[in-house]
Amino acid sequence: MTTVAKAGKKRSAALNQFSTGTQAGFHVVLGLFALLCIIPFIFVIVISFSSENSIRQIGYSFTPIEWSTQAYDYTFQLGDQLWRSYFNSFLITIVGTALAVAITVLYAYPLYRKDYSYRGFFNFLSFFTMIFGGGLVPTFVICKSVLGLSDNYAALIVPALFSPFSVIIMRTFFQTTVPGELIEAATIDGSGEYSTLIRIVLPIVTPGIATITLLYAIGYWNEWFLSLLYINKNMEIIPLQYLLMRMQRNADFLAKNSAMLGADASKAAMALPSQSLKMALVVFIVLPIACAYPFFQRFVVAGLTVGSVKG
Amino acid sequence: MRKLISLILALALILSLCSFAQADDLPTITIMFHGSNVSDDTAVLEAVNEYIADKVGAKLEVIWGTWGDFDEKAVNALVSGDTGLDMVFTCSWSADEYNSFAKQGYFLKLDDLIEQYGADLKAAIPESLMQAATIEGAEGKGIYAVNGFKDTATQNTWDVNVTLLNELGYTVDDIKGKGFFGFGEIFAKAKEVKGDSFYPFLIEPMVLERMVTNSIIIAGDAGSTNLLSCYLNPDDVSAEGAYGNKILNKFATPEYKAFVEKVHEYYEAGYIDPALAVAETSNDARTNAQKTGDYLIGTQSYAYGYEFSADVLARGVEVQFVPCTEPYVDTTASQGAMMAITTASEHPEESFKFLALLNSDPYLMTLMNYGVEGIHYTKNADGLIEFNTDARATYSPWTNGMGNVTILPDTVAEGAGFREAFKAYYAGAKAIPSLGFVFDNTDVANEMAQLGNVAAQYALALDCGATDPATELPKFLDALEGAGMQKYLDAANAQLEAYLAK
Repeated sequence: MTTVAKAGKKRSAALNQFSTGTQAGFHVVLGLFALLCIIPFIFVIVISFSSENSIRQIGYSFTPIEWSTQAYDYTFQLGDQLWRSYFNSFLITIVGTALAVAITVLYAYPLYRKDYSYRGFFNFLSFFTMIFGGGLVPTFVICKSVLGLSDNYAALIVPALFSPFSVIIMRTFFQTTVPGELIEAATIDGSGEYSTLIRIVLPIVTPGIATITLLYAIGYWNEWFLSLLYINKNMEIIPLQYLLMRMQRNADFLAKNSAMLGADASKAAMALPSQSLKMALVVFIVLPIACAYPFFQRFVVAGLTVGSVKG
Repeated sequence: MRKLISLILALALILSLCSFAQADDLPTITIMFHGSNVSDDTAVLEAVNEYIADKVGAKLEVIWGTWGDFDEKAVNALVSGDTGLDMVFTCSWSADEYNSFAKQGYFLKLDDLIEQYGADLKAAIPESLMQAATIEGAEGKGIYAVNGFKDTATQNTWDVNVTLLNELGYTVDDIKGKGFFGFGEIFAKAKEVKGDSFYPFLIEPMVLERMVTNSIIIAGDAGSTNLLSCYLNPDDVSAEGAYGNKILNKFATPEYKAFVEKVHEYYEAGYIDPALAVAETSNDARTNAQKTGDYLIGTQSYAYGYEFSADVLARGVEVQFVPCTEPYVDTTASQGAMMAITTASEHPEESFKFLALLNSDPYLMTLMNYGVEGIHYTKNADGLIEFNTDARATYSPWTNGMGNVTILPDTVAEGAGFREAFKAYYAGAKAIPSLGFVFDNTDVANEMAQLGNVAAQYALALDCGATDPATELPKFLDALEGAGMQKYLDAANAQLEAYLAK
């Protein structure tokens, strides 16, 4: 009896397991892949702790000849602007993502409902903007002159509120995970439209919501172009990303135009922040979003295994 | 009842709006600068607005464009007809290029305003600068921007580390005597003394090319990689050069061939840092070597007084700038920094009054450039400006991009009498024969884009000596020919002939 049970156990273990060799192979391949992903980031951290002297002499290296926290000291000297920009980054990301997800879900839900008459039209309306954009200048005119999106937080949030791509993801998610019968059943049970959406549909599509939340959050977190376009005078509200991007763009511009600008370019180039400072800012920028990933990952993975109608 | 309440609320709203309008009846004018490094302008703007309230009759707001942002911001605002921008920086090398944007009608013609309010401005700025700003614009020939009075001539120099040079047993006279083609011996010595990892020749490749071949920039040519050139007469810049007043493909001349062959020889011998041959690393490499004085001979497009600037003083070695030619006034330098009023502006008169005041009133210019006395700087016993480093770090506009720098007081680093010497230096500068010529590239814009791409592929590496001219130069010239160089060149020469005939 015991031997049978043992044999049965063995067989079931063997069924769900790869051979040791294959497993080792997978581990090596995935391990290498994980290394490929994390090495650049470790490199950035190492550079941010390298002394300027070391970078000058041997360039970027995993083993700088001299370590230093100079870049971080300088970053903290940026003082108010640094923390304010950091706060702005969080504010824009949190508020923007919350609004964008709400709008996207509320837009995608009717598009999924087969009993909604204007599906075709609204589908087209959103899809059309994926193919034909208005162009930079018309967009700028609408946002700045018509909507008054200039030098305020709204300018950093509103233009990126709606992404047709996320609507399509969400709509497809509704279609594949929420069967029409479920809505019917809810209606028969006396649930109104809002309660059907909030109490029945949304809990099923949390993985989908997590996916678009992640997309929007990364989008908002990395956004700097809106600041460049719409923030002119009120520099207090720029996010950290733009602070970093501005340094980078200044350096690029001076490199490109040093032959035209003459002595002024040399003077300006001298005043540019050091390489290690830039890397220190990258660390500031990457850390929060890297920490947010595992949190979202839980939902995304759950989405692969959970459904509403079983059997 | 409800209607009554909403009526009262609406009235209250309108009244409150009215009261706002009354409290603040001066119009706001907005100016956008280039190259600023300003994070706190509160104190300065407060003082400025107090000062200009009566004189200009407006309130000033400033958009501090940075090197990296300006082009995008300015072009967007101009093209979209943004009424929130009244005055904007422009010049011969920025994206809102003066000549073409004036022609397209984005800049206001200022002649009438100058007539009406510009007496002080005309007195403060040399006639030659007014001339340089006079162009054929959307509303006919006229002045479309206030031209800043700064280093208005171009001069390329050898940036010499005199400390090291003397150590090696040479003097500055040797640099003058030997010239580019004779530097080899000094470099070999430097390499011998300082070791193999030392690169004595710290070049800005494009500038080096101009220095050695005596070619000049043609305004209106392809952006950062110029294709065309006129040739200077190095002994007398106001006379015609070896090729007369003719525009040439600068890569096809014997001068260019001789230059790239020599620079390749220097590169192969290890005199030039390979990092300089890559656009992405060149600036960092150059800046690093300069900061530490880790070079022997460099190239520098020079402005009078550069040796007194903080970054040169900080190198820790004695630096001398040895000129290749006397300074010459060309179109690029004489349209190097200007301030235009946009056609979308709702307050052109106030804007012009402000620009006129900024360029003629030392108090306002000093305030805008150096900040508030007692906060950003103090004056010492001799009346020289001493900067307060901390406050200055939050307020450093680009001085030359603002306007008339000759009315600023001298700083401690520059020494007393600096501005006078500066003015005299540039007043004596001679004009090249084709001064004022601007190539209108609209008809050959496609060719220019293609040629620019070809040049971007080959020119930097050749100018730096990183590639062998024996194989690469013929390839480069063929590629240029294929991209329509002849058509581009003919268009430029036809325009130059027409210009000189006038």
